[in-house]
This record gives sequence, structure tokens and C-alpha cells, in this order.
Amino acid sequence: MYLPYLKTKIQKIFSIRLVKTGTLLAMAFTISNFSSAQSTSPIHDGIFSDAQAARGAEAYSANCASCHSVDLRGNSNSPSLLGLSFMFIWEGKSLGDLYTKMSTEMPTDRPGILTQKVYADILAFILKSNEFATGDNDLTSDTSFLDEIPITSQ
Amino acid sequence: MTNDHRFASILKLLVAASSAVAVSSTLAQILDYETVTDELLQSPPSGDWLSWRGQPNSWGYSELDQINTGNVNELQLVWSWAMDDTGAGQTAPLIHNGVMFLPGPRGVIQALDASSGDLIWEYRPGITPIVEGSGAVAIGSVQLGSAAMPATAYAGVGRGVQKNIAIYGDMIYAATENASIVGIDARTGRLAWESATADPALGYFYTAGPIVANGVLVTGITGCERYKNDVCFITGHNPNTGEELWRTDTVARPGSPGGDSWGDLPLQFRAGSDSWVAGSYDPQTNLVFMGTSQAKPWASAVRGTDGEALYTNSTLALNPQTGEMKWYYQHLPAETHDMDEVFETILIDVGGRPSLFKMGKLGILWQLDRSTGEIIKATDIGYQTIVNINPTSGQVNYRDGMMPRIGQQIDMCPSTSGFKSWRAMSYSPQTSALYIPIALNCELATFGPTEQVLGGGGTGPVRRINYPHPASDDNLGEILVLDVPSGEVKWRYRSRAPINSATLTTAGGLMFAGDWNRNMFAFNAENGDILWQTRVTTSAQGFPISYEVDGRQYVALPAGVGGASWSGMLPRDLAPELKTPRNGNSMNVFALPQN
Repeated sequence: MYLPYLKTKIQKIFSIRLVKTGTLLAMAFTISNFSSAQSTSPIHDGIFSDAQAARGAEAYSANCASCHSVDLRGNSNSPSLLGLSFMFIWEGKSLGDLYTKMSTEMPTDRPGILTQKVYADILAFILKSNEFATGDNDLTSDTSFLDEIPITSQ
Repeated sequence: MTNDHRFASILKLLVAASSAVAVSSTLAQILDYETVTDELLQSPPSGDWLSWRGQPNSWGYSELDQINTGNVNELQLVWSWAMDDTGAGQTAPLIHNGVMFLPGPRGVIQALDASSGDLIWEYRPGITPIVEGSGAVAIGSVQLGSAAMPATAYAGVGRGVQKNIAIYGDMIYAATENASIVGIDARTGRLAWESATADPALGYFYTAGPIVANGVLVTGITGCERYKNDVCFITGHNPNTGEELWRTDTVARPGSPGGDSWGDLPLQFRAGSDSWVAGSYDPQTNLVFMGTSQAKPWASAVRGTDGEALYTNSTLALNPQTGEMKWYYQHLPAETHDMDEVFETILIDVGGRPSLFKMGKLGILWQLDRSTGEIIKATDIGYQTIVNINPTSGQVNYRDGMMPRIGQQIDMCPSTSGFKSWRAMSYSPQTSALYIPIALNCELATFGPTEQVLGGGGTGPVRRINYPHPASDDNLGEILVLDVPSGEVKWRYRSRAPINSATLTTAGGLMFAGDWNRNMFAFNAENGDILWQTRVTTSAQGFPISYEVDGRQYVALPAGVGGASWSGMLPRDLAPELKTPRNGNSMNVFALPQN
């Protein structure tokens, strides 16, 4: 259902970025790679970068870790964002659902306080921590894009 | 150690403190401080508030009656004080001799003139100087690491909660988010000693402070939900030196008595049994009563044992000198829905029988014999849908279809937020009734798995859909008033917002409480009529108290943010039209107008 729309979306977003950096070859690779992965969610296709996840780790440490713990495993009042527990809550939902939850309800004492870019960075850090593949480009905060990416374990 | 010896040692610290005065002209201190003895703690003057719930019996009752049903409508704000907004506000202040000792988030303690609200001293972890020559370890920002900077991360510290503190001798005692107990000079606010009990990197921390029991500080730790090669515990400390005198595990280890109640689970997978609410001390039996929380992960199917999991969800009766467990009563053996029973213990003699009363998340009022731990009566307030309870034997059986299986949704009341929480109930001997803050709620819950590895575990994930309780008329809040000992409902008050503070009863025939929607109320304790109300900075939250200075009675009502699901998820999901500020931790003090 989401694939054709997503492909357009990815082309749109990536071409903007890639034209900027001039790496058209990488764009072609990314899109063809995605096209051949019909049975899996693009969440596995490297939709965020290592650099973004590193920025997200900093932001997570400052804004999230006091409840969800530095290792993302949570505490009694804050769910784990890691592994089985994370996937149990989020599998089948979309990255847009997770982004919306984060950006409208978190941190619980000052919801929505961070910029969209920082929420996207933190989302990238959570994905990286859960061993989703990294790629060359940053994950966007555009929910119309994120809504079309299901969270799947494979 | 004898009392004489103890106070002699404390005197040494005070000498050191006074020499510190000599070198620091800016040090403010309490000049007319009076030493708090065991006798004073057990029979405090009516104007003082020396234990977190007033007296060791934890009634949450003030004997003052200057403010009463006839004049409470004249109450006026005398002073208010903005507290740190660096974490959750769940303060339980103390009053001694006209001074309020006010615990705030992240370990901050402030001494205020209780009649004017003027600051006398404040203790800030890592910033306030230590008592010279006391042997206290200088813990600065380097040693505290990110814990010294509230906005940054620290493993498992939650929201920097500091509920209660204790006063004894010439000291104030607290338990920290870094898993240590501290002794602070009550006159100056300077750190006299700090005693680490566990490694905070393993998740351990405190949210409840010590209580004083027969000369010993008794404190329960929390943050025990992770898998590690140790378990949760309660300790006894020497109030003079901070020395740990004993440690009692709240989890039965393999091979120890009760150890087989966790099946074959090795030690590292026996998690939970946190003791995150302060206990009560009974001089009559010389026993400390401490509650323990549920086992972790919450669902037994996720824990990997359907055994009783001792000593989770129990009331423990401990000898304060040795930590020896005289008896335990496990309220919910093999509990499996996050139905915590850790909360306050209220000591009431009923018909000459020394009893204690407790209520957990399920809304079952337990009456136990506090000498023996024998069940006297269990009263189900009738809102829960999870268990059947035998009112005389206390035997609990899960209803058909209510055992959580991994990945299978169940429909349960209450939600994992519970009908009862840390917001303590109070007792009035005038009405012989308990005043219980309740949140009404239910949940479609699907419990999920965790990794059984060291460092893992935790509560286990829950896919959660909150919904209003069918009997609530969409009200989330209730004050339920139960007659003691019959358990019959005397009256109930309901509100759209959760009732979000502990309750306070007074000899003026009053009961004070507040809600999440910033309202503070004085009720006629007899019939529930609202006699006075006001609105404050943010949600009512914490432990209201009453005290007297120079013949004038005051009522101190705390407001705060960050009280977990009752003040977050529940109103957000079920009463979205209500809005509160994101900050505003404060203390608000009221009295009658002066002529």
C-alpha cells in the first residue's frame, strides 16, 4: 500500500539532498535497492545516518535518559526503548506514530520542547540502538513520510 | 550505642559546624533549634510535624483545631514558596519549633521560617559545604556526575523524586537519587555524612527517605527492576555516623527461607520488591512496618515463574535494631498485573487490638494484627475486576480469564496506574474513618516479553489503552471515606481530575486534599461538604500538613508536577480538556486572618 507513495517521497526527499551533494550515483543505488526490497519495510534500508544517530544520542542523553535510562531500558514509569520490549510496543505501528508520540508527549515535563530536527535525531538514535541499518542520509521529521514506514523486525 | 554517646558524637559535629560558622560569615543557621528525642518523635507537640505523616502511626492527622469547620472559609494565603522545577514535586515537609524542613526534587532540602516563609538555609547536593571535621565525603559535581545537573542523564533516576525526610537529634536525614543516605546538620544545612548503599549505575535509587525507629534510620530502596546479581533491600543506619547496621533483603534468595517461591529462577532474575514508600514505626511492638512492591517484570508469564515471589507485595515487620523480619504478610502472592501494595501503613488500635491498615492499587483495604501479621479483615472497595478476595482469610484468587498471557489483551480495572498510589490516605480519630485519594481508571492491557539477560528485565512492556471506569461517570478522581473498622463507605467525593495529593485530617473536623486541576479543598470530614477551596500554581501534589507557630495554626498544601501516571498519562488520555502548567512545584501556606 505504502510503497509507490513512499518511493515517490523518497525520490523527492533524497533528490533534494543528493543533488545538493552531487552524489547522484548514491541516489540511484538507494532507490534501486529500495525498489527490489518489496517484502520488507524501508525501515531496514538505511533511512538515517550514523551522524544523525550520534546527534540523537546527545539529545537523548540530555532530554530522555533521566527517565528512560542511559541504556534505553527504561524504569518503572518509563517503557524500555530497546529490543524485545520496544518492538512489542511498536511493531506494526509506523515511524510516524512513534515520532508523533515523541514530539507531542515527550519529555513528559515539557512536551514538544525540542525542535522537529532534534526529535528526528532522537528517533534515529533509537533506531540505531535497535540495530536498524544506517545509511547516508538523515531521517526527516516529515510525518507524511514517516507515517508510511512501518516498524517491522524484518 | 547509647543515647548519651550518640548525642555526644553529634555534639562533636556541631562543634565542627560552629567552627565553620567562624570562617563563613554568610552561613545562616537555626539559632533556637531544639534536639529531637525519641520521646518527642513519639509524642510530638501538636504544633510540630516530626514524621512524614505527622506521627509514627502515620495517621496524617493534626491535633490542631484553631482552623475548624466554623471558620475554615476564612483561610488566606500567608506565604508561598516556589520550589525547584528540576524534577517531580512530591514533597512531605516536616515542622519543628517554627521551622519547615522542605524536601525538593534532586535532593534539595530547604529550611524555612514556617510563619513567614523566609529561607534560613538550603542544602544542595554537591554544592553546600560539608561539616568540617565530620568525616563526610566531599561529593562535588565531579563525583555526582550528571546527577548534579538535573537536565542531563543519569541511569534510572526517574524524575529526581524526594518525598520524605526525617528529623532526629540535631540532624535531618534524607535518601538520595544516587542510592545513598545523608545526614545533614539541622541547624546549618551542612552535610555531616553520606553513606552509599548501592551502585546507582545498576539502577538503584531512592525516592522515599528514612524513618526513625528506636534510634535507627530505616530506609527502603527502589530501582530494582533490572536484572543484576543483587536484590532489593531495606537498611538500618546509625543516625550519628551513617554506618549501615543491617540490611534485609526484600527478595528471598535461592536456598534461603522462601527461596523456592521464585521457582528455579536464579538470583539475577529475581527483580522488584522495591520499597519506595516510607514505613511506620510502632513503639508498642518495637516493629517497623515497611511495604514492598510487586515483582518485576510485572506479569508472571514474563518473569518466568508463577511462584509467590517472596517478599514482593508484602508488609514486612522488622526489628529496627537488627533488621530481623518478625513476620511478613504477602497481600498478593504471585501478583501479575502491576498491582503494587507498597504504600503507607497506618497504625490504629481497633477494639484494643493493635492493627495496621493498608491499601494497594487494587483498592483492597487490609487490616492486619501488627503484633502477629495475622489478617483481620480485607475489604474490597468494589471497583476492581481482577481478583476474588475472601474478606476473612485474605485469600486472593484470580478471576477467570484474568491471568495475563504474553501478547494476549485483557480488560482490567484498575489500569496499571491503580486506584490507589503513593498519595497517602489519612485517618481521623474524630470520625474513625480513613480518607483515601483514589484515581478511577481501567485498561485494555497486553503484557509483552523482555530479554532475560543481565541489565535487562525491567517492568516488561505493556500495550496500553486507558479507558474510564464504568462506575465513574467519567470522573477520574475520588476521595473515598471508609469507616474503621467496618469498611463501610461514609461518603465519597468525585471529580473530573484525579485526586492528586495525600489527604490531611485535623482536629478541627476538617480534611484537606487537592486535585490535578490545581484545586485545593477543605472538606467537612464528617459529611464531605466543601467548606473552602482555592487554586494554586500547578496540580496539588505531595503531602499536606498542619502546624502551629506562636499560637497561629497553618495549613501547608504542596503543589507539584511529575507524579507519574496519575498526573500524566491518565488525565492526558481521559480528561484531555484539563490543562495544567508544565512547572510550578510550590509550597502554599494558609491561615486564618489575624486581627
